[in-house]
Amino acid sequence: MMGLDILFKIAGVGILISVFHTALKQAGKEDMAHLCTLAGFAMVLLWVVQLLGRLFNTVQDVFKLF
Amino acid sequence: MWLKILGSLLVIIASVSLGFMLAAQYAERPRQIRQIISCLSALKSHINYTAIPLPAALVQSTGGITGPIAELFQAMASLLADNGLTPQAALNQALKDSNKLVLHNPEREVLSVFSANLGGMNREEQHKSLDLAQEQLSRIQYEAERLCEQNVKMYRYLGICGGLAVVIVLV
Repeated sequence: MMGLDILFKIAGVGILISVFHTALKQAGKEDMAHLCTLAGFAMVLLWVVQLLGRLFNTVQDVFKLF
Repeated sequence: MWLKILGSLLVIIASVSLGFMLAAQYAERPRQIRQIISCLSALKSHINYTAIPLPAALVQSTGGITGPIAELFQAMASLLADNGLTPQAALNQALKDSNKLVLHNPEREVLSVFSANLGGMNREEQHKSLDLAQEQLSRIQYEAERLCEQNVKMYRYLGICGGLAVVIVLV
């Protein structure tokens, strides 16, 4: 249930970041647009890394790897 | 649940109004520069043809204009008349006192240079200096309009999307 929630969150951030990118690019601020995309990417990466950590912990528990 | 919705609404309203406020500042700057130009052309005719004293000419040149620029010229006139400052000192003081102006450094510089020449020379020289100031201001106005076109839309979009992004991250 938790995974679905964060999936929607990531999708929302992705849509908004794309809008940010378009708006900033239209205003002629390409560098800010790229910075913005990078910030969004880093934020989403943080969430994904946490989830991956949980996945590895689960795998360790299931196969009794210590 | 309701508390979350209420909080999200507040965040979105705050960020949207912030974006629109910044956009309004960019839209206001060309308007104020245009008003200054029209005040200067009225001032030019008051100096050249009616030849009335500077404070009265300044007040009369704001005819038909309302808002911060009219207030700026009227404040400058009253400073000139009451405190006996030089035109440049009066204008600088008036610029400093007014907090509704959204003028940037280039137009402030032009105004300062023009006011330094005001009232110190004969009519033809003042005419020339006013012409120069008008020409410089119209160039600045063109630039400001270009910036306005670019930035107004961007700040509105950023305000709305920024609010939504914050809500998504926090929820």
